[in-house]
Amino acid sequence: MIRYQDVHLDFAGKKIFSGFNLEVPENEKLLISGPSGCGKTTLLKILLGFEKITAGRIFCGKVEVTARNIRAVRSEIFYLSQDIDFRNDRVAAVLDEILSFEPNRGVTSGDAHQRNLMQLLELENDILEKNMPQLSGGERQRLGLLVCFILNRPVWLLDEPTSSLDERLRKKVVRYILETGKTVVVISHDDIWRKNGALRIERWS
Amino acid sequence: MGARDIDIFALAYLFLGLIPVLWLAARFRLAMNRTILWSSLRMTVQLSLVGLYLKYLFKFNLAWVNVLYILVMIAVASYSVLKSSRLDLSRLFGPVFVSILLPVGTVLLFINACVVRIENILDATYMIPVCGMLLGNSMRNNIIGLSNFYAGLKENEKTYLYTLALGASRLQALAPFFRAAVIASINPILASMATIGIVSLPGMMTGQILGGSIPMVAIKYQIVIMLGIFYTQFFSVCLSLLFSIRIGFDEYDIPRKELLY
Repeated sequence: MIRYQDVHLDFAGKKIFSGFNLEVPENEKLLISGPSGCGKTTLLKILLGFEKITAGRIFCGKVEVTARNIRAVRSEIFYLSQDIDFRNDRVAAVLDEILSFEPNRGVTSGDAHQRNLMQLLELENDILEKNMPQLSGGERQRLGLLVCFILNRPVWLLDEPTSSLDERLRKKVVRYILETGKTVVVISHDDIWRKNGALRIERWS
Repeated sequence: MGARDIDIFALAYLFLGLIPVLWLAARFRLAMNRTILWSSLRMTVQLSLVGLYLKYLFKFNLAWVNVLYILVMIAVASYSVLKSSRLDLSRLFGPVFVSILLPVGTVLLFINACVVRIENILDATYMIPVCGMLLGNSMRNNIIGLSNFYAGLKENEKTYLYTLALGASRLQALAPFFRAAVIASINPILASMATIGIVSLPGMMTGQILGGSIPMVAIKYQIVIMLGIFYTQFFSVCLSLLFSIRIGFDEYDIPRKELLY
C-alpha cells in the first residue's frame, strides 16, 4: 500500500535518508520507534508532499507521490500530526469545514456511527460548542482521532496518537486502531502498542 | 483664481523651525538629526522636481506622455510595496504591478469620463494628481495586506499544511489568511471614511478650498476621491493576494521558502 523506494533526502546539508526502502502492505499495522530527530515525522511528511525528497520514489497504493498526483495521494491518507494542528475556531465549525472539503463529500456526520465513535473516545457533545484553544491536550487528541475514524480513509499515519490519553483510554484506542482494516503507520514510544495486538515493529537507531 | 503664491524666502522661514527641533533632538539623544535633515532635504528636492516636471507635463499635456508617466508611477509603487513587505521582487513584481494598474486605471478613467466628465479623459491636470492619491493610498494597503498574509501564514504554517492534509484545496486552506489580510488592509480606510470631516479635514479638500473652490465643490471631489481610494484599495489588495497565491506556492501547494523567510 505504501512503498518508499531508494529515497534520499538532504535537509540543510544533513542526510536524513540515503537509499531508504520501506514497504507497508495493505492492512498492515506498522509501529516505528526510535530517538527523536532521526526522521520519523519526516517519513510521514514526504509521503504527504510537505517535504520533497532529493531522489527516489514514493508510492501510495498504485499512485506515485508527484506534483500531479498530490491531491489524490493526500485524500487517501489521514494524518494525525503530533500537535493536531486544527484551525482556531469553534469545534463544530472546524468539523463542518473539514466535511465540506471535496475529498470528504461522501462522509456523513451526526449519525449513530459518529455518536458511537464519540462514546468510544469518551467525548461529550458539548465539546462541539467549545473553541479549539479551550481544549485540553487529551481532548484535542481524541478529537483528532474522531476525525480520523469519521473520515475513514484507507491509510492512517499517526504521529504519537496516544501521548495525552490516560491508560484506560489508550488501551481502547490502541485496540480499535489495531483491529481496523486500514493500513496504519504509527510513530510512538509507547509500549502499549506491542502489548495489545499484532503489529510489525521498525526500530530506528 | 488660485491660492496666493508663497514667496521663496518666506518659505525658507518655515525651515527655521528645524533649529529648535534639532537642538532638542540632540539634547534628548534621539540620534535622529541626520535622518531629520536628510528627510527634510529629500522632501524639498523631490517636490521641487515634481513641480518642475508637472509644469511641463501640464503644458504639453500629451496623452501618451501622461499614460507613460502613470505607468512609471505604478512601477515605482509596486517596487516599494514589495520592498516594504520584504517579498521576492523578481517573482512578484509583475503581479503586483497588474494588481495596482487594473483598479487604479479603471477607477481613474471612470472618474474622469463618467463622474467629473472632462472632455479629454487623459488630461494631465486631472489624471496625474488623482492617480497620485489613488496610488499613494493603495500602496500602503497592499503592503499591509501582503505582509499580514505572509506573516500569518508563516506563524500558522502547520495549520495550513494540516488543512491541506484534511482535504482542502490551496485556496480553501488559505481562506482564513486571505480574509484576515483583506480586513487588516481595508480597516484603516474604513475608519477614516467613518470619521472624515469630524476628526480630520482631508488634505485634498483643504487644497481645493485654498485654491478657490467653494466648499460644496471641494466636498464633492472629496467624496469622489474617498470612494475612488476605497475601491482601488479593495480590488488591488484582493488581486495582489490572489496573484501571489498563484505564484508564491509550488505544485505541492507548499509556500515558497523565499516568501516566508
